[in-house]
Amino acid sequence: MTIAYGISLSQDWDRPYWAGFAVAMVSLASIGQSMNKAALRMFGTLVAVVVALTFLALFAQDRWAFILTVSVYAGFCCYMMSGSKHAYFWQVSCFVVLVICLDAGPDPVNAFNTAVLRAQQTGLGILVYSLLAIFLWPSRSVSAFNAAATELARTQNQFYQACLGLAHGQGDVPEVLRLSAILVQAKTRFDQLLDAAEIDSTEVWELRLSWRRYQQQEMELMQALERWRESLAEVEARHLLRLLPNLDTFGAELDGRLAQIVQMLDDHAPDRMLQIQELAFDKDALRSLPHFDRATVVVARSNMLQLEQLTRSLFETVSELKGYGTTSATPDPPPPLQSLFLPDLDRLANVIRYMAIIWMSWLGLIYVNDLPGGAGLVSFAGSLGIAIANMPQLSVSKLVAPATGSVLFAGILYIFLMPTLSSFIGLGLMIFAVTFAITYLYSEPQQMLGRALGLAMFVTIASISNEQSYNFLSVANTAMMFPLIFLVYATTAYLPWSPRPERRFVRLLGRYFRSSEFLMLTTRWDPARPATRLESWKKAFHAREVATLPAKLGSWAPHLDNWALSSTSMEQVQTLVTSLQLLSYRMERLLGERDKPQAPFLVQQLLEDIRAWRIGIQTTLQRLAAGPAAGEQELLRERLEQTLDKLEARIKEAVDKTPDAQYSERDAESFYRLLAAYRGVSTALVEYVDNAAAIDWVPWHEERFV
Amino acid sequence: MLTPVPHEFAIGGVYFPPLLIAAFVGILAALVTTRLLNRYRLTKYFFYPPLVSLALMIIYTVLIGTFIVGA
Repeated sequence: MTIAYGISLSQDWDRPYWAGFAVAMVSLASIGQSMNKAALRMFGTLVAVVVALTFLALFAQDRWAFILTVSVYAGFCCYMMSGSKHAYFWQVSCFVVLVICLDAGPDPVNAFNTAVLRAQQTGLGILVYSLLAIFLWPSRSVSAFNAAATELARTQNQFYQACLGLAHGQGDVPEVLRLSAILVQAKTRFDQLLDAAEIDSTEVWELRLSWRRYQQQEMELMQALERWRESLAEVEARHLLRLLPNLDTFGAELDGRLAQIVQMLDDHAPDRMLQIQELAFDKDALRSLPHFDRATVVVARSNMLQLEQLTRSLFETVSELKGYGTTSATPDPPPPLQSLFLPDLDRLANVIRYMAIIWMSWLGLIYVNDLPGGAGLVSFAGSLGIAIANMPQLSVSKLVAPATGSVLFAGILYIFLMPTLSSFIGLGLMIFAVTFAITYLYSEPQQMLGRALGLAMFVTIASISNEQSYNFLSVANTAMMFPLIFLVYATTAYLPWSPRPERRFVRLLGRYFRSSEFLMLTTRWDPARPATRLESWKKAFHAREVATLPAKLGSWAPHLDNWALSSTSMEQVQTLVTSLQLLSYRMERLLGERDKPQAPFLVQQLLEDIRAWRIGIQTTLQRLAAGPAAGEQELLRERLEQTLDKLEARIKEAVDKTPDAQYSERDAESFYRLLAAYRGVSTALVEYVDNAAAIDWVPWHEERFV
Repeated sequence: MLTPVPHEFAIGGVYFPPLLIAAFVGILAALVTTRLLNRYRLTKYFFYPPLVSLALMIIYTVLIGTFIVGA
């Protein structure tokens, strides 16, 4: 930061603090991570320069059209930011447009100079940081990346072993859930480090396609393991052991493969290569089981066969990556293209709040005389606001302490220390010491907000330039700007919904059950009427909602406070979220099985019974959409048992009177999968209702001050 | 009833407008009140607490400004 300031001041460039900002914001733990962020900042700035100059050229004479266009662009960036891999690009692109537009708006003659200066100072900051990071303190991420890859594979192996224990009836369910959570963390760390290692390591860059394939296969294996784990909850271990005679050998082979993958990632040659394994199936014994038990065994077996395929592909990919094998003969199929645009309601809510932030501060600027900060208030509110809007869980009150501390710290330096400095040596030492102190004291990732605010306040308040002047009013104005900005943030937090975590949680639950109900409705049999484009779009939208809402609920759960949890524990809430995740998996499975063809004869025989079952589930979902605790657990459980008994009898009757020629073994398996999917949804629903009944929902609906 | 004459506040040689002081104290008083109402679970009797919170801030600011600070 000191060198960036030094170069900028020596060249007599205006606003050297923009270079300081760039250095402060791109500095991360390793070169790769920093370069990645620096590239996003640079590209974001360049795009913003073009966009801002275009807006200024088109609407400089009409302030309403101007701010409308700027706010729409800012809203678009806000929407893109929360769902993109390149979130920082969108963030930078948004706030640089605001900075240039609000800086150059009142002075359009110098707009081009301002825009170019911003790009120039950002480029300088990034260049200085890059050169220093590469030549002076090269901290590469490749060793951390290799360790993360090994750790991910090892955790996956442990998770598999724990699930295998469940299949043998010896597992420990809490331990499996704990490992599942660790696995998600390991995967996130691996993903982050892969992005960084691709940039700062030639060896990773050369093999990047293989690493990306490995990343994709890891994700598929994680999902398959989760599906297998949840299918094991339905099946009895004794049935599995009896019907799959070589389950032990098959399980040990998959375990061996995963262990060999860990070994190879740890740079040790594998002890053995892949072995072909069949998972034998005792069909005679299967016929002795009731139909629903048959269905659960069929599903568990098919999940294990899928695991076999995935571990094989993973083994081949890692062999190729580490040079222990040849290139895989069968390339992966390309990922399916998502042709439909599916809006995300939560991201749209963030956009509404963010656009309200911009409009409120803009209207304040126009209609309130001598607003502290002036146009700077709008650009500051917008720059920080895009991050705030994308973190709706963050309470505005949590920003007050870091902002106050930062303003005080920077103000003291500006008022008492800076006027005593008379050369760049003193100034450079001060910049170095302050930057070092802030980044050292706020070095943890969770302290990122404090670090960013501290550096931003120092750079803004110090306002270092060649013609340095000191004015108490500039500190006082900046200090006064914050209460106004926080007021805007606090007010807009109610847009479009209440910011209270418990309210958001209940609202998301309602959305989850409405979407589930819609999906259940789509499972009705009506082959004569194909789905329209609108129906397909709605189905895809609700399927995405059901798949993503449990994770969103999980992100709100830690923010529930003592008010909502007065007589409920956090574990109970987490269990509720886990049961919703289970329901999502089973809904997804049901939709998948429902789309597959079924033997017409069996469908005809059981159509009415399955229809009644579907309507029963729909009614429960409808009730739950109205209130999360509306399900009557005992009644639901009793009804489920009655339905299962009745269906068992009906299936037996239908199968008995069906000639063998009417359906093949494949038809029977397909039908059992569908049956297991229906039962899975019902049992997951009963489990959710049990967990919801344990929670005291009354305080969640009470009014209170935030 | 006599109300204080509006005058600026000098803190460390810096003059602050009286309305700023009144607003600052008013917001603090409103925050304390809402915390107390939350603590004793009296907030459930309000229809929409955010508006009540805003109203309390304005009422306190006006009262403090009129009768104590003199804004």
